[in-house]
Amino acid sequence: MLTTTVGNYPKIGGKAPNLRAAKNRLDRGETSPEEVARIADEVTKEVLQEQIDAGVDLVTDGQIRWDDGQTYFARGMTGFSIKGLTRYFDNNTYYRQPVVEGKIGWSSPISTDHFTFASGNSSKPVKAILTGPYSLGRLSVLEAGYEGLGPLVLDLAEALNNEALALQKAGASIIQFDEPCILRHPEDIDLFLEASERVVRGLTVKTAVYTYFADASKVADGLLRSPFLIIGLDFASSDGNWQVVEKFPADKELGFGIVNGRNTGLETADQIAQACQRVMQHVPQDRLYVNPNSGLEYLPREKAQQKLERLVEGVNKAREVVRA
Amino acid sequence: MHNNLITTAVGSYPKPPHLMEARAKAARAQISRDELMDLEKKATEHWIRLQEDLDMDILVDGEMYRGDMATYFAENLEGMDISGLVRSYGNRYYRKPVATGAIKRPKAITVDWWKYSQSLTDRPVKGMLTGPYTIADWSFDEHFGSREAFVLNLARVINEEARDLQAAGCRYIQIDEPAASTRPEEMALVAEGLRVSTEGLDAVTITHICYGDFATVFDGILTLPVDVLDLEMANSDYHLLEYFEDKKTDKILALGVFDVHHHAPESIEAMEAGIERALNVLPGKQIWVTPDCGLKTRTEEESMAKLKNMMQATNNVRARRGLS
Repeated sequence: MLTTTVGNYPKIGGKAPNLRAAKNRLDRGETSPEEVARIADEVTKEVLQEQIDAGVDLVTDGQIRWDDGQTYFARGMTGFSIKGLTRYFDNNTYYRQPVVEGKIGWSSPISTDHFTFASGNSSKPVKAILTGPYSLGRLSVLEAGYEGLGPLVLDLAEALNNEALALQKAGASIIQFDEPCILRHPEDIDLFLEASERVVRGLTVKTAVYTYFADASKVADGLLRSPFLIIGLDFASSDGNWQVVEKFPADKELGFGIVNGRNTGLETADQIAQACQRVMQHVPQDRLYVNPNSGLEYLPREKAQQKLERLVEGVNKAREVVRA
Repeated sequence: MHNNLITTAVGSYPKPPHLMEARAKAARAQISRDELMDLEKKATEHWIRLQEDLDMDILVDGEMYRGDMATYFAENLEGMDISGLVRSYGNRYYRKPVATGAIKRPKAITVDWWKYSQSLTDRPVKGMLTGPYTIADWSFDEHFGSREAFVLNLARVINEEARDLQAAGCRYIQIDEPAASTRPEEMALVAEGLRVSTEGLDAVTITHICYGDFATVFDGILTLPVDVLDLEMANSDYHLLEYFEDKKTDKILALGVFDVHHHAPESIEAMEAGIERALNVLPGKQIWVTPDCGLKTRTEEESMAKLKNMMQATNNVRARRGLS
């Protein structure tokens, strides 16, 4: 039973220099992009250490340099332009929507430098995270270059496969693909599976697919036979995944999203421990990753930190029960 | 006041830089609340004069004294606290409210400000409230555990405020629900929240909705219990007008004719084309002309450039079509 985080982490609110203020200075022409990048490095180091100090076993770089999961990759590929703001799921969080204007192309790694930096500044393994091809396609606007979502998603899978291979080469030992969109589009499960096969091609490291903001009851059969080793399910947004996990395959591992990354109300360690014991009736503890249901950037910084501390405390309680 | 293509703004205007500094100083108790209010009043008068100079029909006070539109109300309500900073997009952050108990309004929140701004002009000034669904959706909930209970408690409080505005003489009351399109399955709750909020009002009621997958919620939006629907249009290339083509409605459409998230003004021609498209669907009496959204993220110069083009475009269309 390992603890991990799912992705993003609040960018401001720690002791490192304030990234928000630095970006404002950059907007006013009072500082350089290099200085902002240096501060993003500082914040990344702090965020890695904050997770480690909380006791998290497998950390992320907190996606401090990402505006969001879509534009971070779209800006690094050819075929995209970036359009107006749109809402990200049912959150009061917005992103600039990528627009597909032509054939998608990948020419060089987008995220490996950031991954290498994070790995070099963490005493715990760092998980590499990519937005999955289905969700990246679904959250973009298709204007030209493709007949429909299907061919677009399959080309995105090729591009993201190149990115994943580059991350593997850079030393990533576990690569996570975020696919929240498939929960809302069960009609596309075959496309999702085909794209998933392409995106993991040639990967020998552990792979994960994470879903969040809803339960997987409408796509469970497909999702659970997708080519990823670890399947991340959200147990905080609703209760539906308790049914899904009843038929969890023996050859898969579970990303158990039990702490709510979208509400400040703190779970107690006992609640978390009890949930872990309950899920262990369906998934053995050596196949469990315990984590928040989603990224933690929907919370103020100190709440994100407290949530991780509770998560670890709860998992430690559950570990004691297992040992006893 | 024109009979056709009435012009107004959605709500917020940019605060002048010296007011932003004064707000920061007041937060650190380096200047008094009275000193701050004096600057807020001057800035309010400045925007009232600018809107008169533009010859706009219905004015707004520009919200010089408000921060975030949900947080401002939460700050003035019992049962709601304010948490730390949470990012909404790009480099924009807000202090997200938290429901911690039953919600009450100790005293009127916006009425003195409305009276002040209305005292400055003979043109009608809109009363500006944030809708219960949006305040709830943009807050953490540590108390209710039910979205419906949270929304309806807020609706009763917003209704008290709306009635006080009307009693003070306000003839146009806008209750913004930008979050209304977030969850299609909750449209009935949005409507019920607005129904309770507008109970007992004979003022013209308006609601503003933005950022959403309107296609799935459009029928619901058309049945909301308000007189005027203010919808962002330019940001989505007026696609929404297609839905009005095959619906009969008595509602007035307040048509957003420019994107507020870009620095550069849209051309007069583009705005004219947008208004013309709306006139092909609805008569001029049923169309108001507005920006897509509040302007607080723009500078005064950018806002004025955009508003001047909006007014010119409206006047050009009125002249061409012989509309009074």
